[in-house]
Amino acid sequence: MTEETDDRNLENAKPTVEPLGGEAVAVRSEAPPAPGAEISPSPHTAAQDEFRNESRAFATGVAGWLLPGLGHALQRMWGRASVVFLAVGSLVYTGASMRGNVFTSTGTDAFDYLGYVADLGTGCFYFLARSIEKNGADVSHAGGDYGTRFLATAGVLNLLAALHAYEAARGRKA
Amino acid sequence: MGAAMVNAMALSHFQAFLLFAAVISVSFGFLGRRRPNDRLKYILWSFFLFLLVGIGIGWVMYPFSR
Repeated sequence: MTEETDDRNLENAKPTVEPLGGEAVAVRSEAPPAPGAEISPSPHTAAQDEFRNESRAFATGVAGWLLPGLGHALQRMWGRASVVFLAVGSLVYTGASMRGNVFTSTGTDAFDYLGYVADLGTGCFYFLARSIEKNGADVSHAGGDYGTRFLATAGVLNLLAALHAYEAARGRKA
Repeated sequence: MGAAMVNAMALSHFQAFLLFAAVISVSFGFLGRRRPNDRLKYILWSFFLFLLVGIGIGWVMYPFSR
């Protein structure tokens, strides 16, 4: 097992300075232009870069939610990606196989809606759970009740992993 | 993946408990730590605490089960 690193090269990141009373601007680290060369203004400001990075981080988080582990895989965190995929997948498969309750949007009370939100957290695995559970839920036995908890845990775990991928994509220490 | 196979999965309470503890411990270990040694320590410690707390709560509830 090797130490997992991400490919975000922080040393080569463009530093920013904030002038007094002004907007943060990127410091140009390139070599000075040759004499006589035409100087074109930089098309990207720091605000645009920040917006782009934020959008990319948000897309990474959404990708991690839709397919468990994808958010980390996009950042080349292969260990975390595979663990999240296998953990969420095994919890969903086990929960559905134990005939846990896969909640739908046609719930009748607040707990049904909360369960639906938790189950939706598994992303595309929600449909896998519904396809496995062709005979419907059976919570009259303890196994079905455990299965319901497994499914909800899988959803919440995947949401946590997607949030982790989002924070990592933003450059936070993760 | 037939319905017979799906219905065949019947885990006991303790088996489901062990599976849950193992999966969550490994997930938290990988998400929360970066270095392999730290991950391994976190996974083992988390798994041990899952077992300790789960069995402890079971014993506390035992007098009220009947």
